Amino acid sequence: MPYVIAAACIDVMDRSCMEECPVDCIYEGERKLYINPVECIDCGACEPACPVSAISQDRRVPAELREFVDDNARFFTQSLPGRDAPLGPAGGANVVGPLGVDTEFIADYQPGTA
Amino acid sequence: MSMSVACDLLIVGAGPAGLYAAYYAGFRGLTTAVVDSLPEVGGQVTAMYPEKPIYDVAGFPAIKGRDLVAGLAAQAERFAPTCLLGERAESLTRDTDGVVTVTTHAGTEIRCRAVLISGGIGTFTPRPLPAGEEWLGRGLSYFVPSLEAHAGHDVVVVGGGDSACDWALSLEPFARSVTLVHRRAAFRAHEHSVAQLRSSTVEIITDAEVTGIQGDRHVEFVDVTGPAGTARRPARAVIAALGFTANLGPIRQWGLEVTANRYLPVDTTMATNVPGVFAAGDITDYRGKVRLISVGFGEAATAVNNAAILIRPHEPLFPGHSSDAAPLPAPALV
Repeated sequence: MPYVIAAACIDVMDRSCMEECPVDCIYEGERKLYINPVECIDCGACEPACPVSAISQDRRVPAELREFVDDNARFFTQSLPGRDAPLGPAGGANVVGPLGVDTEFIADYQPGTA
Repeated sequence: MSMSVACDLLIVGAGPAGLYAAYYAGFRGLTTAVVDSLPEVGGQVTAMYPEKPIYDVAGFPAIKGRDLVAGLAAQAERFAPTCLLGERAESLTRDTDGVVTVTTHAGTEIRCRAVLISGGIGTFTPRPLPAGEEWLGRGLSYFVPSLEAHAGHDVVVVGGGDSACDWALSLEPFARSVTLVHRRAAFRAHEHSVAQLRSSTVEIITDAEVTGIQGDRHVEFVDVTGPAGTARRPARAVIAALGFTANLGPIRQWGLEVTANRYLPVDTTMATNVPGVFAAGDITDYRGKVRLISVGFGEAATAVNNAAILIRPHEPLFPGHSSDAAPLPAPALV
């Protein structure tokens, strides 16, 4: 039951959540942050830190934002543009640094659509 | 001065699984030591969710995190394990005769016949206060080992979680003044504690940070910067409760197989790939693993009983029922 970052983060990327995460499992794309569902320990420290309320537990994500649950996972399970292999459990955002790319879903995301 | 401890079983990690393992090892008649990098028992529950009610511990329709930890500690205490709190297990070596030696960062040497790693998500490190790491031990601290030590002091607590709010509230009767500085408007702490704080004499400054610490040899003043600018206020103690970061830490160097960067694969006896080293709780991994406290308890019992027959090969795996005979006066049933 990991936490998930949804649409409100896109083009905001405040990063306060990254400072709160005790296991450093929130990774930085180009337009959005992503929580690695395999590394998330479900502690919830990130949720109140988000100034735009983009974070919620996966089973509490509103129906119109469900796609973001799968998309957070895809960021780690599929090879991102320009990379040969998926990130997988990368061992912490400070290990890999900002990735500078997004999943296809986020790269093409138009504000106001779901 | 470094210390040395000899025991049958060393438990690394004093969270719920480790505490229950300490009880079980005692019940089996093993001498036990427990080591944890934090100064308090309870692991993740104490560090992160002391006020959260937990609903899935067998036999308890609901129990607060800290009450569960207190119960587990009391249960283990019947057998008086050696507790090495605030010490991080650093290295592990194994003699040809099967004696394992674990050394802590403080230099304590623990010689044992088996090790049980109940290390959860790893070793916790307090998040540093960006303004003044160099004041550690000179007025800045990450924990409050004694409330009385702050009698008559102006104390500044930094943070917005349960620990920050709890410490601010419990220091209020002792300190001359308590100020709580939190960099957001919303608190992560339990609503009840926040309400208690608001009706106490604790001064709450939100959307603000401690941006400087001043003093001669010891902390004397802190600079608090908020929306209205920076103000200097007297402070004899700064308690930074900014949460923790967790990392598998030194046990990565123990020759253990690690999966997904943080789990230790075990077999059905909870043995890891290193002879004499067992694991239990959130840190273990196997097909079908479910990471819950209740599962950790079961794994702790399995691990201890299997460690017991490694240590004493002539004993049976099954420990007998705790209800059959009480080796020590049983505590009153609650």
